[in-house]
Amino acid sequence: MATSLLKRLLLATLVLWSIATAVFLISKVMPGTYGSEQLNQADPGYYSRGDATVLDRAYREFLRSTNQDLPLFYFSVASGATPDTLHRVFPMRDRLFLERLALRYGDPRQATLFFRNLKGFETAIAEQQRTILQPYLYAIYQHTQPVQLQHALQALDTLPLAPTSDTQKQRMLADGYTLLNTSIKHRYLQPAFQWHGLSNQYHLWFSGMAKGNWGISLRDGRPVAQVLYEAIGNTWWLLLASMVFASLLAMELALLMIRRAGRKWRQITLPFLFLLDSIPVFVLAILLLVLLASPAFLQLFPVYGMGYHTASEPNLFARMSQWLQYMALPMISLVLVNLPYLTNQFYHALKAVSEQDYIRTARAKGLSESAVIRRHMLRNALLPVITLLSDFLPALVAGAVIIETIFAIPGVGRLLIDSVLARDYPVIVGIVVVIALFKLLSHLLADLLYHVADPRLRQAAR
Amino acid sequence: MRKILAFSLSFLILLLSFCSQPERQPDEVRVRLVIDPANLNPVSYNSLEALQIINLLYNSLLTVDLDDNTLKPGLASSFPEVERNDSLSFFRYSIRPEAEWADGSPVTGHDVAFTLKLLKAPHVRNEQIKPQVEFIRDVIVSKDNPKHFTLVCTGFSPEMELLTGDFFILPEYLLDPERVLVSVTIPSLIKTDSTQYNTTRIKTLAERFNRLGSTESKDLLLGSGGYTLSDWASGQYITLQRKENWWGGTTGSATSYLTAKPERISFQIIPDNTTALLALQNRQLDVLDNIPVAEFEQLRQNASFQEEYNLHAPQGFDLVYAGINSRSPKLSDKRTRQAIAHLMDAASLIKVTQQSYASPTVGPVPPSVKSFYHSGINPYTFNPEEAIRLLKSAGWIQDKDGWYRNEGGQRLKLDINLLYRAGNTVYEQTALIFQQNAAKVGIPVTLQALEGNVYSQKLDQHDFDMFLRGISGNPFVFNYKPLFHTSYAGLGGFNTTGFGTPESDALLDEINTSQDPEEKARLLKRLQEILHEEATFLSLYFRKEKMAIHNRFTNTKVSGVRPYYDLSAFMLKP
Amino acid sequence: MKHLIILIKSAWQSAPAFRLALSFLLFLGLVAIILPWLPLPFQPNELDLDAVYTRPFDWTRFQEDKSFHWLGTDGLGRDLLSNLAYGTRSAFAISLPVMLLASLLGLLLGAASGFYGDRRASISRGRKLMLVPALFFFLFYALYVPLQLTSLQVASTDYWLAALLALAVPALLVVGIGALLKRIPYLKAKSSLPLDGLVLRLIEIETSIPRLVLILALAALFPPTLMALSILLVLTFWTGPARLARAEMLRIRTLPFFEAATSLGVPESRLMVKHALPHLLPPVAVAFSFGLAGLLMLESTLSFLNIGVSSELVSWGRIIAGIRANTSAWWLVVIPGATLSATVLALQTCSYYLLRASQHRVS
Repeated sequence: MATSLLKRLLLATLVLWSIATAVFLISKVMPGTYGSEQLNQADPGYYSRGDATVLDRAYREFLRSTNQDLPLFYFSVASGATPDTLHRVFPMRDRLFLERLALRYGDPRQATLFFRNLKGFETAIAEQQRTILQPYLYAIYQHTQPVQLQHALQALDTLPLAPTSDTQKQRMLADGYTLLNTSIKHRYLQPAFQWHGLSNQYHLWFSGMAKGNWGISLRDGRPVAQVLYEAIGNTWWLLLASMVFASLLAMELALLMIRRAGRKWRQITLPFLFLLDSIPVFVLAILLLVLLASPAFLQLFPVYGMGYHTASEPNLFARMSQWLQYMALPMISLVLVNLPYLTNQFYHALKAVSEQDYIRTARAKGLSESAVIRRHMLRNALLPVITLLSDFLPALVAGAVIIETIFAIPGVGRLLIDSVLARDYPVIVGIVVVIALFKLLSHLLADLLYHVADPRLRQAAR
Repeated sequence: MRKILAFSLSFLILLLSFCSQPERQPDEVRVRLVIDPANLNPVSYNSLEALQIINLLYNSLLTVDLDDNTLKPGLASSFPEVERNDSLSFFRYSIRPEAEWADGSPVTGHDVAFTLKLLKAPHVRNEQIKPQVEFIRDVIVSKDNPKHFTLVCTGFSPEMELLTGDFFILPEYLLDPERVLVSVTIPSLIKTDSTQYNTTRIKTLAERFNRLGSTESKDLLLGSGGYTLSDWASGQYITLQRKENWWGGTTGSATSYLTAKPERISFQIIPDNTTALLALQNRQLDVLDNIPVAEFEQLRQNASFQEEYNLHAPQGFDLVYAGINSRSPKLSDKRTRQAIAHLMDAASLIKVTQQSYASPTVGPVPPSVKSFYHSGINPYTFNPEEAIRLLKSAGWIQDKDGWYRNEGGQRLKLDINLLYRAGNTVYEQTALIFQQNAAKVGIPVTLQALEGNVYSQKLDQHDFDMFLRGISGNPFVFNYKPLFHTSYAGLGGFNTTGFGTPESDALLDEINTSQDPEEKARLLKRLQEILHEEATFLSLYFRKEKMAIHNRFTNTKVSGVRPYYDLSAFMLKP
Repeated sequence: MKHLIILIKSAWQSAPAFRLALSFLLFLGLVAIILPWLPLPFQPNELDLDAVYTRPFDWTRFQEDKSFHWLGTDGLGRDLLSNLAYGTRSAFAISLPVMLLASLLGLLLGAASGFYGDRRASISRGRKLMLVPALFFFLFYALYVPLQLTSLQVASTDYWLAALLALAVPALLVVGIGALLKRIPYLKAKSSLPLDGLVLRLIEIETSIPRLVLILALAALFPPTLMALSILLVLTFWTGPARLARAEMLRIRTLPFFEAATSLGVPESRLMVKHALPHLLPPVAVAFSFGLAGLLMLESTLSFLNIGVSSELVSWGRIIAGIRANTSAWWLVVIPGATLSATVLALQTCSYYLLRASQHRVS
């Protein structure tokens, strides 16, 4: 028992680790880094707020302060055509250009040389000649075939330029021609391995995670643990309340249907539940919102958030009723969405029990039907229900994501959508880990309960 | 059976007991926020929502009076005296004698110096605002009167006056009680020499300061403004409480725009638009801005709603434009670009995407700024025949599946790759309408809705044919140099379209140095002519802002300039 | 295949609800196929800027000589009826191939893990050793290189080259070098491959997070192209068929005829194709139609949230998202919402009766 539990715990940790690592790595590998959103997209506006170089510098500082300029992992496997100092090239647009150059011509050293001289040439261009040179530079930066680069270089070659920029131009052209001539096709197919050591983003992030430091939200600079704590607080009560309601309702429905006289009920409820099950959550929630909380139809409920501040401190009951007022619609949606599945499972659990011998015996003894159901069947059907509920609570989170977005409840679901849109990866990783942890814990708990409750299983484990 | 009946009945009763709407206090203004600003730090804030709130907590040297959309002295008692010397300029300010912090101590030039040090200091999260004050080299506080001080700046440009007065002044006594930054000078912070400031004391100060603006830092988030932060339930609401005996009430004529009228201001955070509109119709909000056009029209038809709310649609200063990459060989001929301009159909765009709540424009100067707007030019109209004529004159030949031209021995096809930011309905609709119009003359248009980072990266790399974008303007400063000057046309520069002729470059410099309004008007009009002729930067329209405000308030100062209304001025109708 | 047809036939004969559901699905499929020949008055992305937000059956707008918006329009005057029809097509054009691929993947992995278990698959230690670099090279050529190539806009031959290498290099490593390594006695020894354990761990990892949460977390990171989304969906939807296939395989393995065939020395491949596959198809078909329903709901939810799906894609979710800009346009929710629900309902009905029929047959 203890060893099997330990084994499961170990496995659970492994699962958690792989999920967190996968989300972290994927979020970092995809194009676009957080922070450029606000810094690089600063609207030019009708007056300058610093020029491109100043903004680039500020951006680099941001990356350094958040460790985002370090290599991603302990090692990297890249194409042999790319220069190994690529991750140090900033800004991002230059890095991408150099990467394309190197991949296309398969010569990292020569590509870097050409790139540097191109940059040098650009800064040396005289003010009056900028407009003339623009199309050529565009052709160099955007070319998709070597022949285009060659045309652009040849055209530049014949163009008379001011002497200040001419030497730079010659250097750039020489390197460009060499690059074209030495080009090795398909060099990118050769993999290259590079070791980065412990000073990498993943190591810093993971050692922080292990120490309980979940990092800082990139969006608002608050500790992730705290952001999560607040959001979970809101979601937790909503989920718990709707789960209790849904389970009670489902249990009653299942009990109604299991009776011998339940046939009539089955005929009414089953199609209804079947229909309900096929309506997507967001359609249901929007329908409820438009029908029950809009002045156009029926205005029964307040519609947004979780209440608001009032000057006087209300008592517990008033607070509760206010909370319920705002939670009613989201709760109804969640209950309705999950009712079919739960009822079905309860019904099947009850039915499986009702075919057991001891139930037949109990019936034969002449016990009344409700006594048989309540005393014998319910108690025995509860066992599979434990697993079911432990499976069910995390699944509710998925519904909560949509419900919270539509009803504007500041819970985990909305936090997820917000941070996904802002690419706030510490928070995304945090949410994913918390949900996975939650599910694993509830599974472990269910296992434990099972072992305690059912002596047969203890036998089997041996 | 009885059980289930009782159960459902009690559930029903529970539900029905909620039908009453919560009551409200009349002297509280309730405003909708789209997102929780999450960070109210007056230096590193990163949303317009945060800016709106910080504006009520802190003051800057200069402020905008939304009543007449002009710049007016805020914390400063008057506009600065400007002195220019060849490479430096000096802005002399003095702070209002009445101005004081929450603890009663006066606001002085030392606070300004402290603020600037924070804006430039390392370890502080000031990456966004730092570039904005890059040109300020030093602050000299007068020895006789600490309320007088001079800002020393490099060079001169017309927006400098605005920028020197644009940042929030922070209290030194509260944020730096140990006076760590006093001994550090601003020039030393600008130099990259790190020995002077890389001390643990400064690091601690920066760390402490970086936490300012989070929900836990309520007692540190105190400024010279008329309000204090009283409650902040993350993701739900933020409430501001009026200060008692605030100094702004005693400033004579300035009291008309330095105001703190409502007792409480409550910001309700409602991310979803549908929900916000329903909340407004449920009378749970007093102010809702950014109402989608379709809804705004419906509210306009709704008589019972208008009994309690006033609808406003002031002319805004946010320009929506389409940029064309003039560097691309297929778009380098201006006749091709003019043909595209004739396919944009700004009139339909205004009608459909804005339901006529927008004004067409010929260029980036707002038509509402009558003295500078060139009313002599006619905006491009939708005209496929003219577009075809222009395409032909630019050497394009129509084939079965599009337009072709010979370019250096290669067959060049005219196809357009149009980028816009994903998730923005207006750009999406604009792009779709343009696509349909272009298809009428046989130009294939590919739409690319891109996530924000990728979008700006593509623009930075000049990897596009056309893009749609908005730009926020204002009625005070018209420095178009970053947008249109060729020196900004490099990779990552602000001149994304690559616009520029020798004449326009010269014009842009002249506009920035000219002091005479008539001369400036002449130059700006000439710039608009060139922009129209070149058709790289297709100005489409200036949007009207759409909002609803409860009619128990007067003096709302509704305006087209952000934040579109002055919450601090709201007064209950007698 | 025969088993499946028999199954469908028996369900068709016994249940009218199944007949109705299947007919509805076939009708939708027919609409999707004959779309180009349907006399629809408008294209789905055709804008009619003079008729924005018209109601369904708004007869005041009806004119003899002009085309009529039967079911109304959305905010850009796009016709709801043709969007609904084309939405049907894209709903199936996305979810059918995705679910087919996912079922195939699930079938393969599930059947293999059920068949081989933890001990029955054995390879030499040398080859086992080579599996790690083989996987590494596979990922390099199948994932990294194509991703890099997209930024270069190269010809498709380069992609084929990468794909070829992705298969050739790992094969060379396992078969070629693996054979060479056999000369060392230690590496020659056979050792078992815990296939079942690996597949189960993979399923466990993927199902430990709700699917929507996983997709949301990943979809925002990938560019919003159909390809990326489809791959993501395949990689998250294979677990359902895999589980069922594995369970069925475990059951088949204990059946007398199968044990007999094994003891007779019938080769593995023949065992799988001839004996196991026919039995595996019905449960996978159930998982398929069930997964298809889930996929349709998920796809429309993503369109609604505008995450991971291009806005040019005509879809039911896109129509419903139109309600966000105008809450009074009820037809934008009700009509596509009802179609979506009906489709899901039909799929679930089908899978329910298929399941019942197959259980019936087994018992």
